[in-house]
Amino acid sequence: MGTMGLALPWRARISSTQCERGTRVEPSEHLADGPNPAARDALSEDAALAAGCRSGDLRAYERLYTVHGARMKNLARNVLGNATDAEDAVQETFLKVQRGVASFRGQASFVTWTYRILINTCYDARRSRQRKKEVTNDDSEETPRPEPRAPGAHPTLRMALERALEKLTRHQRDVFLLYEVEGFRHAEIAGILETTETASKNTLFQAKKNLRLMLEPPRSSAAESR
Amino acid sequence: MNVTCSDRERILGDGTPAEWAALEEHAVSCPLCAEEIRGWKSLSVAAQELRDYTDSPSFWPRIERALAEEAAGRAQHAERRGWLSFLPSFSPAWQTVFAGALVLVLTISGGWVYLHRPIQKPDNDKSLLKSSALKEVESAESSYERAIDKLAAETKPQLENPATPLLANYHEKLLVLDSAIADLRAQAGLNPSNAQLRYQLLAMYREKQHTLEEVLEAKP
Repeated sequence: MGTMGLALPWRARISSTQCERGTRVEPSEHLADGPNPAARDALSEDAALAAGCRSGDLRAYERLYTVHGARMKNLARNVLGNATDAEDAVQETFLKVQRGVASFRGQASFVTWTYRILINTCYDARRSRQRKKEVTNDDSEETPRPEPRAPGAHPTLRMALERALEKLTRHQRDVFLLYEVEGFRHAEIAGILETTETASKNTLFQAKKNLRLMLEPPRSSAAESR
Repeated sequence: MNVTCSDRERILGDGTPAEWAALEEHAVSCPLCAEEIRGWKSLSVAAQELRDYTDSPSFWPRIERALAEEAAGRAQHAERRGWLSFLPSFSPAWQTVFAGALVLVLTISGGWVYLHRPIQKPDNDKSLLKSSALKEVESAESSYERAIDKLAAETKPQLENPATPLLANYHEKLLVLDSAIADLRAQAGLNPSNAQLRYQLLAMYREKQHTLEEVLEAKP
């Protein structure tokens, strides 16, 4: 009842690397205590990427794309609703990184900074699209176009979730996508969205509560249907 | 660890692994909490539907091309403004100092040029000339008037007791001329620079002079 008919092992821990990422279920933030060699590696990788991009080395950008390109495109697609706009946004993000890397001072991680640019670029594109829509007086409600998805995808659930996400606030949507879909940790999300870890956790909690209200049938009707 | 239904939301929001385990344990005997936990996890499961990391082979070449074009464009732009390329090597503080110095030099230069500009003396000659001309005219008028007065003094005995009708007419004419001269002099006194009045006054004096000469010629 009211669980969208899915149940997976919930204790799967999301890794920060893309290939190991699985289902994101709490609690995930409390597991990374103590010195973490993987985190140290990530830091040095981040610094190397920043240095490479700053020197104009295209291989550094290729490395950034190899490690984060698919995730960036997926995030952009979930914000913008289609793959074409998502690819444009990711390409624009790479160009903005190239233009701005000289001024990157390393206050945040380079990858975090890149994702912040991506999110802002996506919302710029959304606003631009909205303005164009207003100019052409197109009153038709924007409906996501059906797109080819990975094998095993559940199109009805995906569409329901996409529609529900559109009804969330921008901040709630961003945190949900970054945490639940892309597997970022709250500390990373705080860096990307320029907020705090606590705010990120609270926002995710509110986002999930709202999504449950939107996606689940009312308890009484569910009980009646039994 | 004992948890109750009232702890559920806090644990769902930011619970530790131990708290989650305790909540799971509590949910075995609490259908409401079990339902909440299932719903909460289902969202995370559903979120996987939004994950599609399918690679697009043509995407990186496209980005790479755009990056290379942008880099080439920037290089060309840098070449074009090569003579200004030294600027970025200075810190903003030094750039401010240079800008301030440039403004100071320009101000001093402007001041020097202003102070050493060729001074044009005010063109007072015309007014002086005008004044002197006026004085000259007035002086000539006075002399002319005095000469005519002398002439009038000579004709006075004849005009006061005119022996002929012609002299009586001359007398009346001179009275009219004197009246007109007095009016014109009054107007010229109000507007001394009016050349037209001066010409009219001169014409009257000439007429008076001719009349007086005619009176003298008509002496019986």
